[in-house]
Amino acid sequence: MIHTRHVVFYAVKHGNAEAEWEDGAAAAPADGNGRGPRFAVADGATQGFGSARWAQQLVAGFVGDEGAAPDLTAAALHDWASAVRTRWRDDPRLAGATDLQRLKQATVGSFATFLGCELLDLAGPRPRWSAVALGDAVLFHVREHRVVAQFPRIAPDAFGSNPDGLPTDAAGLTAMVGRASFAGGDLADGDLLYLATDAFAQWVAAADLRDRRALWTTLAGLDHPERFRRLVADRRAAREMVNDDVTLMRVRLDRAPAAHLVVCL
Amino acid sequence: MEKYRQSVSRSEPGCVVILLDRSDSMKLAWGRTGASLADGAALAVNNILLDMCIKATTEVNAPVRRYFDVGIFSYGARLGEPGEGVESAFGGVLAGRGLVPLPELAEHPVAVREEPSIDLMPVSARMPVWVDPVHGHRTPMCQAIAVAGGHVFDWAAEHPGSFPPIVINITDGMVTDSPYDGATLQDWVRRLTSIETDDGATLFFNVFLSPFEVTEIVFPADPGGLPPPGPDLFALSSPLPQPMIDNAAVDGYDVRPGARGLAFNVGRSTLLRVLQIGTRVPDRTR
Repeated sequence: MIHTRHVVFYAVKHGNAEAEWEDGAAAAPADGNGRGPRFAVADGATQGFGSARWAQQLVAGFVGDEGAAPDLTAAALHDWASAVRTRWRDDPRLAGATDLQRLKQATVGSFATFLGCELLDLAGPRPRWSAVALGDAVLFHVREHRVVAQFPRIAPDAFGSNPDGLPTDAAGLTAMVGRASFAGGDLADGDLLYLATDAFAQWVAAADLRDRRALWTTLAGLDHPERFRRLVADRRAAREMVNDDVTLMRVRLDRAPAAHLVVCL
Repeated sequence: MEKYRQSVSRSEPGCVVILLDRSDSMKLAWGRTGASLADGAALAVNNILLDMCIKATTEVNAPVRRYFDVGIFSYGARLGEPGEGVESAFGGVLAGRGLVPLPELAEHPVAVREEPSIDLMPVSARMPVWVDPVHGHRTPMCQAIAVAGGHVFDWAAEHPGSFPPIVINITDGMVTDSPYDGATLQDWVRRLTSIETDDGATLFFNVFLSPFEVTEIVFPADPGGLPPPGPDLFALSSPLPQPMIDNAAVDGYDVRPGARGLAFNVGRSTLLRVLQIGTRVPDRTR
């Protein structure tokens, strides 16, 4: 049996308040009915309306926190995303919206890149991951300081040019879900999965080319939110990382169950 | 280091200033619209202000974000103190104000009323209005740049890390007050564009309106072929920085190297598109 231990790090865009993080991240253990542990990150559009809610509803829905989690097929994802969209549009909090807010919701809406992952057969002969992506949030599968798989494969200089993601308009949503890409890979004891939104993923992709051992040692050793925020602040200051909300979820796979629960205050 | 790359945020807001010609010739009808140049220009300015407010609106129960400080200065006929001159074009609570933070602007339109579609579609919509159409007198463009420059200078000193100020001049005529205070129009523009933040020099763009339906020339890279006062305006207009070249290309414009922030003989919908391109500074789309 392979166990999973995950942690989420995030940092808001410089200049924004902590509560204005517009990414989303969620995880859920196996459900006991054959669905494996799930992990998801999403990156809400800065220029959208209600983007934090949209990103966070998407990741929560994908891991099964808000109703049945979707299968990893285009058809199931479409039905699920449409239901999430309805909840986003009809949010009771919008009863207090101003005219400008209503106008923006109706004319602009929101948009989020999305990456969802499920781990399968962790107690069986072929443990593996299966993932769906829309846009440039990226999964890095790392073994012994080396990237075994990157999904989607995006070169460091190609971030920002991928228009895919999940929009809140019905027609756009249907078209975009049809563009979802799927991938999978086999897992081994000691592997690490990193799910990152675009600004951090872009930096990781570039740092992996420069000095992969240093990169993966640093990321595997992150043990406190402050260390992550310092890393992000330093890389932004060095102009290696774009000033954007950043999110990194690390999933460690280990045959030994967790011995401690760590809470950072 | 590469310039014009700073994204807008509340800690590093941008600055947009529009210089609005309110001279007598703005009373002429604009193409087939039936409305005057002044009507169309005011409509475009109100549309771009609404666009900026919408972009800075992010969530229910959250205020409009201060992504920009905005100034609209009119030249020609004045409303505040009748006669010819330069004044803030804002009315109501904002009357007489120079640069106004976007959240305050969003709170204080002078009216919300039915306005026609800018692209001549037979529809109208209720929208906030900050600027009304006015025309009369001559074209004191130098004085307008001098007044705006004072505000821009102070703003740049307070926001050294921000994207540089963007000044967009909407006019249909020839300057009538050059030299002003001992300096020519070219001198005033040089003074304005010498105001810098760490991210670059102030950008000065020009939009020339024509009452006639003639060929539009948008973001030319060469003054050749421009009728008067096109070559003069070309020389005064800043080169488009790369982020705006990218914006223009996305909007379908064939922008050549060396393109200037100049739009010549434009119609109403093109005026709005040019304002949108000229005020869209780098930002993360996601």
